[in-house]
Amino acid sequence: MRAIHSSAPQDRRETEEPRRRAACKWYSLPRFDADPAHTLTDNLIEIEGLSFARGDRVIFNGLDLTVPRGSVTALMGPSGTGKTTLLRIIGGQIRPDEGSVRVDGREVTRMSRGELLDFRRGLGMLFQSSALFTDFSVFDNVAFPLRVHTDLPEDMIRDLVLLKLNSVGLRGARDLMPAQLSGGMSRRVALARAIALDPKFIMYDEPFTGQDPISLGVLATLISGLNRALKTTSLVVSHDIHETTQIADLIYIISDGRVIGRGSPTELKHERSQMVQQFMTGAPDGPVPFHYPADDFLEDVLGAH
Amino acid sequence: MLRLLRLLGQEALTRLGTLGRSAYVLFWTLYSLPRRGDLELLGKQLYQVGVLSLAIIVLSAFSIGAVLALQGYTQLAKIGAEQSVGLGVALVLLRELGPVVTGLLFAGRAGSAMTAEIGLMKTTDQLAGMEMMGVDPLHRVVAPRLWAGIVCLPVLTLIFNAVAIWAAGLVGVDWLGIDPGGFWSGMTDGVEMWEDVGKGMVKSGVFAFLISWIAVFEGYDALPTAEGIGNATTRTVVYSSVVVLAVDFVLTLVMYGEFK
Amino acid sequence: MIRMRTIEISVGAFMLAGIIALIFIAVRVSGVNLSQATGTYTLTARFHDVAGLRVRSKVSMAGVAIGRVAKIDVDSEYGEAIVTFEISDKVANLSADCGAQIQTEGILGGRYVSISQGADEKLLKDGDRIRNTQDAVVLENLIGEFLTRQGGGSNSDKGGS
Repeated sequence: MRAIHSSAPQDRRETEEPRRRAACKWYSLPRFDADPAHTLTDNLIEIEGLSFARGDRVIFNGLDLTVPRGSVTALMGPSGTGKTTLLRIIGGQIRPDEGSVRVDGREVTRMSRGELLDFRRGLGMLFQSSALFTDFSVFDNVAFPLRVHTDLPEDMIRDLVLLKLNSVGLRGARDLMPAQLSGGMSRRVALARAIALDPKFIMYDEPFTGQDPISLGVLATLISGLNRALKTTSLVVSHDIHETTQIADLIYIISDGRVIGRGSPTELKHERSQMVQQFMTGAPDGPVPFHYPADDFLEDVLGAH
Repeated sequence: MLRLLRLLGQEALTRLGTLGRSAYVLFWTLYSLPRRGDLELLGKQLYQVGVLSLAIIVLSAFSIGAVLALQGYTQLAKIGAEQSVGLGVALVLLRELGPVVTGLLFAGRAGSAMTAEIGLMKTTDQLAGMEMMGVDPLHRVVAPRLWAGIVCLPVLTLIFNAVAIWAAGLVGVDWLGIDPGGFWSGMTDGVEMWEDVGKGMVKSGVFAFLISWIAVFEGYDALPTAEGIGNATTRTVVYSSVVVLAVDFVLTLVMYGEFK
Repeated sequence: MIRMRTIEISVGAFMLAGIIALIFIAVRVSGVNLSQATGTYTLTARFHDVAGLRVRSKVSMAGVAIGRVAKIDVDSEYGEAIVTFEISDKVANLSADCGAQIQTEGILGGRYVSISQGADEKLLKDGDRIRNTQDAVVLENLIGEFLTRQGGGSNSDKGGS
C-alpha cells in the first residue's frame, strides 16, 4: 500500500496512457477517434442506446458509453444532466426505458433481485454524502459488508478492516462515530467501506465536491492509487475539472442526455467543440447560456403593465 | 366541473398508487426470511419500540385508571351502585380504552420514531448505500421495526390495562373507600377471559399490525428532505390514529354485535 | 450507542412485565382459576319467562356462585324457555326437588339464577331437570299488577297516573 504515495499522478498517467487508451467500437462521435487503429481492448462497462425519462423530462436519449477495464474514467457535464442517475442505472437501482447496460458481460437491466444482490457484491460505491451508518462506529461501518456477505471469523474481519482503514489513512480513527468525522474523513471511511470486499469496479459520485484543498489532494491520490493497487476499474462523476483531469484516463462529457465529448484530458483540452470548451474552461456563457430564456430585456423592464 | 372531476380522479389514482406501493413494501418486507444476526436487529428494535414506550404508557395508564374510578364513583354513588365501579372500569378498559388509547399513544411515540428513523436513513443515502452493497434495506432496516411493532403493542396494551385497573383500585378502594370485596369480586364475576380480555387483545393485535405497517411505509416512502420527513411523521400519526379509531368501531360491531 | 447486554436485559424485563400484567389480569380481574380446576355437570330447567337472563349468567346457591348458564333455548310449542346450566362437580348433592329462581342483583344488576336446596333424598344427576322453577320478576308486570289491584279497589284512578 505504500506505492500510493510514491509517484505523482501526472507521471504515472503518462507512462501508462498508451496501455490504457480505450479505442473501442461503441462510441458515437468519430471525431474523437484518437486511435485510428481501433485496437479493441477489454471494456468493463458497455452502455448502448440508453434512454431514460422521468415524467416529461428526458434524461438520456440514446447514450453510448464504454468504460475500459482498469481505467479511471470520469463523467463530467453541466449540473442536472443525470450523471448520478447514470450511476444508479449502472448499479441496477433504476431501470432504463431503453438500451443495454453490460457490466463485465452481464446485462444489468434484466437482472432479478437475487442476481442484483450478487452483482453488487463486486461493486463498490461512494456516495456524495458518504452514506455512513450513523449508529455504527467507523470500524463497524467498514466491517459491515464483510459481516453481511462473508462468514469470516471476527478476528479475520478485524484484520481486513484495519487493512482497509490503513489504506485510506484512518486506522487510528476506527472507534470514532460518523458524527465526529469531518467531511473529508467521512468520505475516506466510506471509501474504505466501498473497497472492503475488493470489488472489481468502484463508482464515485462527486467525491471532490465541497472539500478543502488538502482533502481534495488526498482523495484524488486515493482514487487513482487504489485503482492501480487493487487492479479495479473506477468511474468518477465530478464537476471538478482540475482534480479530475489529474487522475482520469478517459473523460466523457455528457450534456442533454448524450455524450458530447470523449477523450483523454489532453485531447479534450484541444477539442474544438464550443460546448466542450465552455465546460473545460468554465466560461459563464456559451452553448450553455447565462440567461434563462426570457423576453427582450428592454421590453420587459420598460413595458408597463 | 370537469376540472374538479379530473382533480378527484388524479387524487384517487395517486392514493391508489400509494396503497399499491405500501402493499409492495409490506410483501417484500415479509418475504425475506430471517437469517442469523437478524435477532440482534430485532432485539434492538424491541428495545427502541417497546421499552422506550413504557414510560408514557404506564403514566397514561395510571392517570386514566384513576380518572375512570373517580368519575365512575361520582356517578354510581348517586344510585348506590358504587361497588360496580370495579366491573365498569375493568370492562371499559379491557374492551375499548386499553387497546385504543395504547394504540394512539404508540402511534404518536413509537410510530413517528420509526417513520423518522427510516426517513432519515433514506435522506442520508444510507438505504441506497445498503442497497448498493447488496444488502436489502427492507430486510435489514424495515422488517425488524415492523415485527417489533407487532410484538410490542399487545404487550404494552396488557401493561396498560393492568396498571390502569390497579390504579383504579388504588383510587376506588384506598381513597374513595369502596368496599374492596365488592370492587374486586364484582370485577372477577363480570369480566371474562375471552369475551373481554381476549377480544381486546385481538383488537390490539390488529392495531399493532396496521400502525407498524403505516409507520414503516411512510418512512420508506418519505421524500428525502427535511420537510419530507416532517410530513411523513405527521402522516403516520394522523393516519394511524384515524385507522385505529375506525377499525375499533368496525371490530366492536363485529365482536359484540348483539346489541339489541 | 447502547450496549447489547443492556438492551437484552431491558427487553427481557419488558416482556416479563407484560407476562406479569397478563397474569394479573387473568387472575385478579377475570377470575380465571375458578371452574377450570373442577369439572362441571349439566342440569336443565324450564321457565315461563327468563327476561334478562343471558348465557354465562351466574348460577348461585345461598349467594355463592356454583355454576353458569350454558344455553338458553325456546320451546315454541309450550311457550317456555329451556335453560341449561353447568354446575360445578363440587356441588353434586342437589336434591330432586330443589328450586331454581331467577333473581336480580341489586336494583340495576344483572339476572342470575338462585338455587335453593330441597329435602328429597333422591339427588339430581348429569342431564336431569329441575322441576321447581320460579320465573324472573319483570318490573313492568309488577307495576301493572299493582295498578290493576289499585284500580279494582277504588273506582277512581283507573289506568291513570
